[in-house]
Amino acid sequence: MNRCYFFAVLAATVVMLPGQVTYERLLNAAREPANWMTYSGGYQGWRYSPLEQINRSNAAQLKVKWVHQMPTTQMVETSPIVVDGVMYVSEPPSNVVALDAETGRQFWRYRRELPPKINVCCGQVNRGVAVLGDRLFVGTVDAHLVALDAKTGAVLWDVEVANYQHGYSVTVAPLVVKDKIILGIAGGEYGIRGWLDAYEPATGKRLWRFNTIPGPGEQGHETWSGEAWKQGGGSTWVTGSYDPVQNLIIWGVGNPSPDWNGDVRPGDNLYSDSAIALDADTGKLKWHFQFVPHDVHDWDAVQVPVLVDAPWQGRMRKLVYWAHRNGFYYVLDRETGKFLTGKPFATQTWAKGLDDAGRPIRLPGIDPSPDGVTIYPGVQGATNWYSPSYNPLTKLFYLSVWENKSIYRKGDQEYTPGNRYIGSVPLIDLPDNPGHGVIRALNPSTGDKVWEYKLQTKPWAGVLTTAGKLLFGGSDEGHYFALDAETGKEVWRQNCGGIIRANGITYSSKGKQVVAIAAGNSIFTFALP
Amino acid sequence: MPTKVPPLLTLALSAAASLFAQDAAKPAQFTQADREAGAKTFRSHCSACHGMNAEGGRGPNLAQGVFYRGSSDEALLKNISDGIDGTEMPGLFYSPDRVWQVVAYLRSLSQNEKAPGDAARGGTLFAAKGCIGCHRVAGQGGRMGPDLTLIGSSRSLRHLRDAITNPDADVRQRYWRATGAAADGRAVSGFLLNEDTYTAQTIDDAGNLRSIDKSVSPAYNVSKKSKMPSFAQLPGAELDDLVAYLNSLRRPGGSR
Repeated sequence: MNRCYFFAVLAATVVMLPGQVTYERLLNAAREPANWMTYSGGYQGWRYSPLEQINRSNAAQLKVKWVHQMPTTQMVETSPIVVDGVMYVSEPPSNVVALDAETGRQFWRYRRELPPKINVCCGQVNRGVAVLGDRLFVGTVDAHLVALDAKTGAVLWDVEVANYQHGYSVTVAPLVVKDKIILGIAGGEYGIRGWLDAYEPATGKRLWRFNTIPGPGEQGHETWSGEAWKQGGGSTWVTGSYDPVQNLIIWGVGNPSPDWNGDVRPGDNLYSDSAIALDADTGKLKWHFQFVPHDVHDWDAVQVPVLVDAPWQGRMRKLVYWAHRNGFYYVLDRETGKFLTGKPFATQTWAKGLDDAGRPIRLPGIDPSPDGVTIYPGVQGATNWYSPSYNPLTKLFYLSVWENKSIYRKGDQEYTPGNRYIGSVPLIDLPDNPGHGVIRALNPSTGDKVWEYKLQTKPWAGVLTTAGKLLFGGSDEGHYFALDAETGKEVWRQNCGGIIRANGITYSSKGKQVVAIAAGNSIFTFALP
Repeated sequence: MPTKVPPLLTLALSAAASLFAQDAAKPAQFTQADREAGAKTFRSHCSACHGMNAEGGRGPNLAQGVFYRGSSDEALLKNISDGIDGTEMPGLFYSPDRVWQVVAYLRSLSQNEKAPGDAARGGTLFAAKGCIGCHRVAGQGGRMGPDLTLIGSSRSLRHLRDAITNPDADVRQRYWRATGAAADGRAVSGFLLNEDTYTAQTIDDAGNLRSIDKSVSPAYNVSKKSKMPSFAQLPGAELDDLVAYLNSLRRPGGSR
């Protein structure tokens, strides 16, 4: 028998084999907690695992299982996925590696060849890959979307999604929804016009695009003036969530451009700094909620939307929990986008509060000025892109918080393609008062603080919670730690020796629960002895 | 945005870059001595893949003055010095003056190699003979053999022909065959992807990524024979056509 024919038959068969990642598996991710198949571990954006083998009674015994060091000195913001014993990790700038989830040994590596000059505001980072069938999908800093064979790393297709020479880049982990790859874009510091896209997994063909900065004739365009919308920003660089019952993709939109000088863009500047809810099949907008109309502080709405069905004033209601970069925690109605309640979760000195519609009541004198205006929260926000977590057992909402103020300055800004378009450079940290970090647990119905765990430094690490009633979080000091999710009491910590600016995950390998986090330039995994 | 890089730092970085550029200053003109010294370096470090006379082998033919990754002298200097990401091309740890000699040597070469067969007929044969069952071209085909999407820009005609008629002659480590058992004792047989003292990583014939535990029997074994059958029995004209087809699989562009 001709072996080539043999393999041809075999290859055709492999496509049909069970064990591939179907949409049904992604939809029912909670039924197979041994895997972690999407950025947040499930469509609701909870970053929660039903695994409970590691719990409050034994977590103190956690030990390093294996470490994967990346051949890079660039910042690592990746959140791995794990599928049937294989961990897929993106490495900066836009590379992917497949590892044995039990040993950390490499199966294959995809190294992208990049053009020499790429502008990415805040490091050539990548936050993760998506999987469907036996394909992986990764966005690149030169603004391509690439499909890889999950078994070999071979490139199956490679499409340009925007012009990187005009400041567009992809750092976000794509999200697979049904038969589509949902992809966001970065470049809010380069005067891009943002969007959220859907692509066909088989070919890379674009299926729909939602312009986050509406053009003439599009709803919301009236919130812009003149030609400012053409460079209006509105990036979408953190993975959103999906409500399968309503078939709604819920995603956060970034700052308007230029960041700290809003003179060229009078108006509310929709859909910057907003939550948007799009029909997954068509990309049509169902609702939106803008956290900061006419933002001049760079307070992107780039948080993972946390989708929960919970009692609200006596009846079950579809809700979105959202702790925003501007220092306020919000509860929204997921069917309409209506504001239900909100209150500060961190120190803030810019708003008197929120009105009945959830619109901030601004205090006077808070806008950036040539001499500088000092307010809380700072430029990096009271929280940022790193993930929050919702735990259905404790029914609490958890997040990493910055208690920090910045001096916001305003300067002139001229738009030129591919160059920064920000309108001054703020002083992020006051040298004599850099602020500190804290992990907080909130009552999600009210936003009231339940407990907190203080940190010396301000964390860039997201939080993960489990059915073992543990919270895993990290710090800039390099510590990865486990807290009692009910009390905030520390039960374990490990010095990883490098800044943690990533989100943890957990999975099972050969029947044993493993926790994984990127720290420094490495992936660390931990398990019980 | 998460973290700003101060403009001053950017300035400092570009200042450092221009200093480096001065260190790597190109000679005003290449001399015969440069070309001879470059030829010597080439034969020591480059010929294993690119051939003794740069005619190509596992690496592309560099003697035609056609380059796919930048055809300027500066691009050649960079690619020779740094290697090329995503390919088998490593960097060369030499000072720029010695790399310029290699560029001088390459510039002195000019050969032309034309495939005798018909690429379109070769493409039909590629499907008809079942090659596509294991080899992928532009996203179509099997995953078990090497992806051939750009093979024409990185192999000589002779190397392509040899690979069809005598696949065992040059088998990349990625396509060696490993056999042994997983930690749970189940037998594993597949292509060797990676290996350390204790384990080996494979892709088995069903496309599963599996690790071998070397401490478990049956004993771990590696075969360097190709899984691909020989096609030496093909009529000469068909072989020519297949080679022409493979030679035509190139990245777009390429300039002198």
